[in-house]
Amino acid sequence: MNILEARDITKTYVIGETGVPVIDKVSLGIPEGQFAVIQGRSGSGKTTLLTLLSGLDKPTSGTIFIKDKDITLLKEDALAPLRNEFFGFVFQSFHLVPSLTALENVMFPAELKNSSKNMKDALHRAESLLKRVDLTKRAGNYPHQLSGGEKQRVAICRALINNPRIIFADEPTGNLDSVSGEAILNLLTDIQEEYRATIVLVTHSIEVAGLADRIVTLEDGRVIEDRSPGTAEKKN
Amino acid sequence: MLHKRFIISELVRTKKQSLIFIMCVILSIITLVALDGFSESVNRSIIRDAKVQHGGDIIIRSNFPFSKKLAERILSLEKSRQVRTAKTYRFHSVVRTQNSETSLLADIKVVDNAYPLYGNVMLASGRDFGTVLKKGKVVVEKGVLDRLGMNIGDRLYIGKALLLIEDVVNIEPDRPVSFLTFGPRIFVSVSDMDGLGLVTKGSRVKYNCFVKTGKEKLTGLLTTELKALAIEGQERVEAARNMKSRVKRFLDNLIFFLSMIGIFTLLLAGIGIWSSLTAWLKEREETIAIIKTLGGSSRFIISHYLVIAFMLGLVGIIMGIPTGFILQQFLPGLFKGLLPDNIEMIIPTGAALKGLMIGGIVVGLFTFIPLDGLKDIRPVAIFKKESWGTKRGPAFYVIGIIIFFFFSGLVLWEIEEMKIGAFFTIGIIILIVITALLTRFVLGLLKRLSVKSLVVRQAQKGLFRPKNSTGPIIITLTASLAFILSIFLVEQNLDAAFVQSYPEDSPNVFIMDIQPSQKGEVSKHLGGDTVFYPVIRGRVLSINKKTVNVEAERKKKSDNLARVFNLTYRDHLLEDEVIIKGRRMFRDDFDSLQVSVLDHVQEFTDIDIGDIIMFNIQGVKLKATVTSIRSRTRETIKPFFYFVFPEETLNEAPQIIFSALSMPKADVPHFRSRIAGLFPNISIVDITETISRFSTIMHRLSLIVRFFTLFSIVAGILIVISSILATRSARIREAVYYKILGATSGFVLRVFALESLMIGVISGFIAIIISQAGSWIICTTRLDISYKPFIVQSISMAVGITLLVVIVGLVTSISILKQKPVFFLKENAESEA
Repeated sequence: MNILEARDITKTYVIGETGVPVIDKVSLGIPEGQFAVIQGRSGSGKTTLLTLLSGLDKPTSGTIFIKDKDITLLKEDALAPLRNEFFGFVFQSFHLVPSLTALENVMFPAELKNSSKNMKDALHRAESLLKRVDLTKRAGNYPHQLSGGEKQRVAICRALINNPRIIFADEPTGNLDSVSGEAILNLLTDIQEEYRATIVLVTHSIEVAGLADRIVTLEDGRVIEDRSPGTAEKKN
Repeated sequence: MLHKRFIISELVRTKKQSLIFIMCVILSIITLVALDGFSESVNRSIIRDAKVQHGGDIIIRSNFPFSKKLAERILSLEKSRQVRTAKTYRFHSVVRTQNSETSLLADIKVVDNAYPLYGNVMLASGRDFGTVLKKGKVVVEKGVLDRLGMNIGDRLYIGKALLLIEDVVNIEPDRPVSFLTFGPRIFVSVSDMDGLGLVTKGSRVKYNCFVKTGKEKLTGLLTTELKALAIEGQERVEAARNMKSRVKRFLDNLIFFLSMIGIFTLLLAGIGIWSSLTAWLKEREETIAIIKTLGGSSRFIISHYLVIAFMLGLVGIIMGIPTGFILQQFLPGLFKGLLPDNIEMIIPTGAALKGLMIGGIVVGLFTFIPLDGLKDIRPVAIFKKESWGTKRGPAFYVIGIIIFFFFSGLVLWEIEEMKIGAFFTIGIIILIVITALLTRFVLGLLKRLSVKSLVVRQAQKGLFRPKNSTGPIIITLTASLAFILSIFLVEQNLDAAFVQSYPEDSPNVFIMDIQPSQKGEVSKHLGGDTVFYPVIRGRVLSINKKTVNVEAERKKKSDNLARVFNLTYRDHLLEDEVIIKGRRMFRDDFDSLQVSVLDHVQEFTDIDIGDIIMFNIQGVKLKATVTSIRSRTRETIKPFFYFVFPEETLNEAPQIIFSALSMPKADVPHFRSRIAGLFPNISIVDITETISRFSTIMHRLSLIVRFFTLFSIVAGILIVISSILATRSARIREAVYYKILGATSGFVLRVFALESLMIGVISGFIAIIISQAGSWIICTTRLDISYKPFIVQSISMAVGITLLVVIVGLVTSISILKQKPVFFLKENAESEA
């Protein structure tokens, strides 16, 4: 059963008077609990595909279903609860709210979800998540006081706070050194097992792709390969 | 070598910030240019029409019949046909209908056949004034007919004479604009003057003689000659060109006050220039860091941004000067009723040059620190690892001192009086320092405040967003709002003290011009407890042998020693007086002449017990020692006197006597008719009408002041917009993050609205505290009136400003709210790549 399914999606950007297709008739189903990697060269359209799958942007044509619901029909505010409860995001540039501490950043989605209710639970959960990533001592620090690896761990904790069903990660190790990057990848795989979350991860790194259940390769906005590691399934 | 394309591209990329910068420059000079142009226009109109407005080339005035030498010389000049002269006699008197049923206090002007020397008295009938105003006839202002229910052809009593109303006067050439008039005009022929029986010894008659020379040189020579013949302090001889009319004096005072507001706006606009340029440069931080990484020197960068600032400043000044002149064209409408109608608006070069100079200096001073700070940006900023801020090095403090001296100099230039200039400058500095301290304190508290609500917390965090100019915004808004509120509160308290809550026991009817011989009879008609106030007019010649500098005193904006004082005599304190220095009013063990002084005098000159004052009382010099200082326990319209002498000293001097009564307004007309019938020389002044007129003028002046103060609010709003533009990328980032994490647009809107609301509420709150404290000090220590806080009105004004800030904040943030997360993420990913 696919938790996420894109059917024939196309995304075209109009530059001047010319339409440039960035995603070209892509169909993709992600089963629940899968760790799927989307890879490709720079400019292949992998980040655009991630933004479409996660509802951050709308395709020019085609449909995207999240558990039988077509999210391309939803308005911006209707997508908000989906992003808050169903999805978790991890970005290459971390995108932590600069004015909030690490703990406050982690708690933020929970606070949005629960308003002022059950804040104690949210606090405990945020603290335990930070503990899980060895950041208990950094909970009171602001983003600019954290290293890249620490920021990304905070971002992962924030992505997990509401127990999302799908985590979208865009080049999560792109801004990190190899040691920090490896630690983040290990964390993501651990999390996938621990929380049984579905992960859709965009990367251009072959090492990262090696950890996935499935590798989708893009080129010029089209899926040219969709396979499990160690297998090869070419798609025309 | 300048990189022109870089300059053009920077200007294009920062269009909105450039616009704010230009608007701040425009704002900095607009009010001063408008006021200068307006003042110059009024001055020129007044000088142009001086002969007509004053009635002659030379004007001789006295409150007494002209002295013998002066009168003889005027007569000889007239006989020699060197000049033409006209004489008028002005006084107030109650006039009655023929059946004495109704009466009215009128402004009587007795004129001779030569009047007017310049201009024409325009009559409703269109006939010649000289042929109409003959013995037994009067020409009246329409108000006389309206208020007495009379028509042309009816007869009315003025004093003992019954005169025929022959015509109605529409325009009187030499009548100055007067805000507080005690009754409409009635022209009487000089041939009827004796028949009126109103001009007697001690009557309050203004004797005027107008001289027409027709030649400038002769005017100068004769003015000097006649001045030498006049009794100093009693008779005034002036050339019309040099006379400061009541209108001119009023306008000078008002323009001075408005200029102070203009200077305050200039200061706020300067802060706006500083703030918008800082915000603008912070936005360009990365570009500057890249240029430095590529080898660009600080000098290269500063010179380019200096050129940009210069260009924008020049555009602002070039636009500001004509905008000021456009504003000037609307000022006659704003001042309607307070100035003559025939003022011709001109565009003086001096005002334009002043605007150019002030604008240039302000741009130079307030752009220096942000531009100088560019040298502190390091190439590492391209990694966004450190934030640039203006360091407070020696340059900061040097510029601060220069700004202080510039504004102090400007104030002194405008008002030409050191003491008030120093008060104003120090007052503004204290206002800004207190505002800054309170802002820092409140923001510090807010930062520490633990807030549960997520929306409130995010708004609270937003206030401390990097590059946010929260502090300067609050300081600017607070200072301008506190300024407006203080003016409003003082005005309201004055209104409450003298107009609205006019104490019931306070007199509202003044019975003027009672002759000493009439005291007994008048007392019978007014009631047994009638208090009579004798008035003897006199001048102060010297204090402790130090001669009063008449010229310097007359230039004072406050009360001064050069004017004629109303002196009185009595041996007791009034019920609202207390002695604050000395044991009693007068000492028994003193042989020489004594005088008791009201503490108000100490506000405009140094005087204390034991000081010796030399008075000139109607030509007689009197030396008196100060033996007590009195103070009034409450400010009311009850009569009071600066100088009180012992009874036996002055009771034989030529004097007028008045009394004051409290009575229902409805009873006044009947009372006036009765007294006028019995004592034709006595005038009844109903002060309730004057208070009402005073209130109208106060509100008009308040409107003018508020209009000019609005410009300082605009400066605050420009800083709000500038700050939002400067933090645009940070706000977009926040909005995107909120949305990615599942927040709705409504949530983002609420956060931004609440942030603006907090700025408005903090500004309003601090402004209320400062203005309440300031107004309380002014009312209780300077004006000696009781203080009411007018909390509801104060809060309403603060709420108004808060709403304005919220609306401006939201309107400026609309494009931020519309931003889709994906565009930001894409742009950010590209900049990271």
